[in-house]
Amino acid sequence: MNQPRFLSRWNALQAREARLAWLLLFPTALIVFGLILFPAVFSIWISFHDVGLRNLNDVFHAPSVGWENYIRAIQDFAFKYQGPRNLGAAVTSIIYSFSATALTVLVGLGAALLLNRPFTGRGITRAIFLFPYVAPIVSVAFVWRWLLDPRPSGVVNDLLMRAGVIDMPLGYLSTRGLALLLVIIFEAWRYFPFAMLMILARLQAIDNTLYEAAEVDGANTWQKFLSITLPELRYVLGAIFLLRLMWTFNKFDDIFLLTGGGFGTKVLPVLTYEFSFQLFDFGRGAATAMMLLVILCVFMLIYVRVVMRNVDEQ
Amino acid sequence: MVETKPMNLIRHIARRFSLRQIVFLLILTFFLTSILFPFYWMVSSSFKTQAEIGGRQPVYVPSALHLDAYRELFDPSHPSFQNFTVSIINSLMVSLPTALIAVILSVLGAYAIARLKFKGKNLFLNGVLMVYLLPGVLLIIPLFSMLANIGDRMGFNVQDNLGVLVITYLAQTLPVAMYMLTNYFRTIPDEIEQAALIDGCSRLGVIWRVTLPLAIPALVSVFIYTFMIAWNEFLYALIFLNSRELFTMPIKINTIFNDPSPRPHVVMAASTIMTIPVVVLFLALERFLEEGLTAGAVKG
Repeated sequence: MNQPRFLSRWNALQAREARLAWLLLFPTALIVFGLILFPAVFSIWISFHDVGLRNLNDVFHAPSVGWENYIRAIQDFAFKYQGPRNLGAAVTSIIYSFSATALTVLVGLGAALLLNRPFTGRGITRAIFLFPYVAPIVSVAFVWRWLLDPRPSGVVNDLLMRAGVIDMPLGYLSTRGLALLLVIIFEAWRYFPFAMLMILARLQAIDNTLYEAAEVDGANTWQKFLSITLPELRYVLGAIFLLRLMWTFNKFDDIFLLTGGGFGTKVLPVLTYEFSFQLFDFGRGAATAMMLLVILCVFMLIYVRVVMRNVDEQ
Repeated sequence: MVETKPMNLIRHIARRFSLRQIVFLLILTFFLTSILFPFYWMVSSSFKTQAEIGGRQPVYVPSALHLDAYRELFDPSHPSFQNFTVSIINSLMVSLPTALIAVILSVLGAYAIARLKFKGKNLFLNGVLMVYLLPGVLLIIPLFSMLANIGDRMGFNVQDNLGVLVITYLAQTLPVAMYMLTNYFRTIPDEIEQAALIDGCSRLGVIWRVTLPLAIPALVSVFIYTFMIAWNEFLYALIFLNSRELFTMPIKINTIFNDPSPRPHVVMAASTIMTIPVVVLFLALERFLEEGLTAGAVKG
């Protein structure tokens, strides 16, 4: 006789708990969905309409233009591939984000291996290694720009000229090819600490008896690295690669501040910015951003297909 | 024969070990120089004079701690006075509220996800995390036109409005703040809260009296992270701020850098002022913060 009553009270309690949960989540949900999810969907709408400065306040009555924004974006000389001397933003983006990510993970792996064994001063070294990642992007980008100054008073020019590597000062960030390479190196310099921390955490968790067993079998350091460390790190390396790839692909600040998107370093985020906030052609900007998003989704799919499946098989 | 063999072995080991140490030291030195030199260059250049900056050769060590650059930033009587104090205040006025509100809202949300049972919980958490991967440049266009519309109706300006900036930064930081705190709350044993509930505490009372005091380390790191994200943010501030009086530090530094007459020492002085608090804060609280870093707290 008591049981049904007890159950209904239990249900009422659960309902109250759920109500409280949504109440607590409400402000976050409102901000996140109102300011991220809705704009994301709205951006699809904008990409099919002619939106400029003049009708920004009356955006819902903007004329629909079908695929025209996409066509104009793709046919723009800054977007499309026109041979190896002018790669266009789409190809540059892909080259840039893949090589910058690969280099970041490699440098991070090196740094993690370096810090994996105890030595005096490891704590402070580890803290210093995080500096590039923690410091504001504006400061570090401008320091780099100034180190790479094209005048003979630039530090890199001065050092290389003294060492006899170059005779004349170089404009590093204003030379096609070199600029892209330096932007990639900058990314690795700034973001390797993230990879390092994740790899370090995984390294510390590897079972030491594996190494002891390998030593008994007479394995040398390199063999131990190849047959124990790398397989153990496989999953974390894949995860870091994906995360960094997506973030690098989306990244606007770094290239904008270093080169302004000039000299063969124009990537899709910078092009999106230029269409929207320099030409004030928001429709075309949104169309470019949507293409960015589509490529991003392809990366995610590849990752889920390839990396995740391999992890499952292990 | 019997004696030389172990001797050889020892010598062999000693030689190999030192070689390994040498390689280790070389790589370590390479890492440390390439990391620290740019920072050294930033701080040392901020103390150079215009002559030392504009010379034909770089000056590696300033002749004295000249304050010319800092005077240009702070001294109203300087001919090209930059009024950097205002930018510092603006940055604080954006970063502190962002961090404070983000902590409060994410405590509520994270508690609900970590402790309460309700339908759609995982969907919500995953949705929030997926949303975090959306690019900033994708969102800025619709956000700009959306907020311009709302602003028109409700009578506020989207541009040159620090409040608008705080709200957009909240949207950027809340997902990760919630993710970090949810993970932390899950490590606090449920039994402590159950005991308080049985003793007649309300849910909010439990959060306030039991969970929060236990979660102080996590709260500190969430606060610092959201503060840092807002402090460093560039793109949204660049688009939403037009008036010099409202520039946050990153935008102000960008403006000084793009000035027709280049004054790198002033840029470096401003960068030093912006960088030092973040790096010092980070070093002081490193132990708390590293966990958050690996959780992807600093996006990008």
